[in-house]
Amino acid sequence: MDFKSIFSRKTKSSNIATQRLKLILTQDRFDVSEDSMKKLQFELTEVLAKYFEFTMNSVSMSLKREGNSYVLMADFPYQESSKLR
Amino acid sequence: MGKVIVITSGKGGVGKTTSTANIGTALALLGKTVVIIDADVGLRNLDVVMGLESRVVFTSMDVIEKKCDLEKALVKDRRVEDLMLLAASQRNRKDDIKPEQMQDICERLKVEYDFVLIDSPAGIEQGFHNAAAGAEEAIIITTPDVSAIRDADRIIGLLQNQDINPISLILNRLSPTLVKKGNMISKNDVLDILNIDLLGIVPEDEGVIASTNRGVPLVHNDGSPGAEAYMRIARRMTGQRVPIPEMREDNFFSNILNWFSRK
Repeated sequence: MDFKSIFSRKTKSSNIATQRLKLILTQDRFDVSEDSMKKLQFELTEVLAKYFEFTMNSVSMSLKREGNSYVLMADFPYQESSKLR
Repeated sequence: MGKVIVITSGKGGVGKTTSTANIGTALALLGKTVVIIDADVGLRNLDVVMGLESRVVFTSMDVIEKKCDLEKALVKDRRVEDLMLLAASQRNRKDDIKPEQMQDICERLKVEYDFVLIDSPAGIEQGFHNAAAGAEEAIIITTPDVSAIRDADRIIGLLQNQDINPISLILNRLSPTLVKKGNMISKNDVLDILNIDLLGIVPEDEGVIASTNRGVPLVHNDGSPGAEAYMRIARRMTGQRVPIPEMREDNFFSNILNWFSRK
């Protein structure tokens, strides 16, 4: 990926829209405030951090529709160097 | 026994009525028997988009109040065989009708017709619940923008709670040129977010405005991108396997072609 594509990806309004939507819909579907979401994310991260190494700000959570129900998707990017403690 | 399908969106102005008019007409052109119902009591528009406003005598309210028979309230579209409109009352309000009454009308119509399409009002209040009450299936209309997709998501949740299945999606007013430029949410992103089956994509087509002006649904004029998209959608609804084509961008050549095919 060259510098130009990184730069243009950042500025494309469609990508901003998609990211905003994912966040809005996760909150709508959960029916919780952004604060509660952040708190949940923080506490989950705290538990996992006892066992794995990862950077807090790389964690993301969303609620995905699967048929008639929702699945909580949480991404905790795992660092290759980290081992189960 | 026919199918009762509600066409809905949550947000207003995304093309529910235009889609109902075109899909209804397209199904009739394919030889199906069809009734389209305007469920937007107090703000009816389907009759106008269909160009049938001068022939509406009775409405669903008159049927409910037993002022006339159901068959008598149906307005026949003379341009195609077996296409009927049941208009909404303009004088009443949305909560003057109860869900059971809509359900009863749908039950009676689906015995006689292959497809009963219900044009839902915008919103998630009583009018929407009435429109969905008699439906077994739903078509969600959305445009590729943040607010329409957000509202569509809300509506999908509500319909799933009512055991309406299947729920499929029409992505309306997609502009391949804007998607390519990165200024419009792409088909794949919409599907990834909403995660329901895609029934079809209708490209942005300025012919829609002229067709509404005339009161002649787009599908009566072959060849426009919107008309072809609605015909493909109708074919899929009759069980034919019609692939969803990748949308082509506008370019110099297609612009010239469009210019020549303009009426």
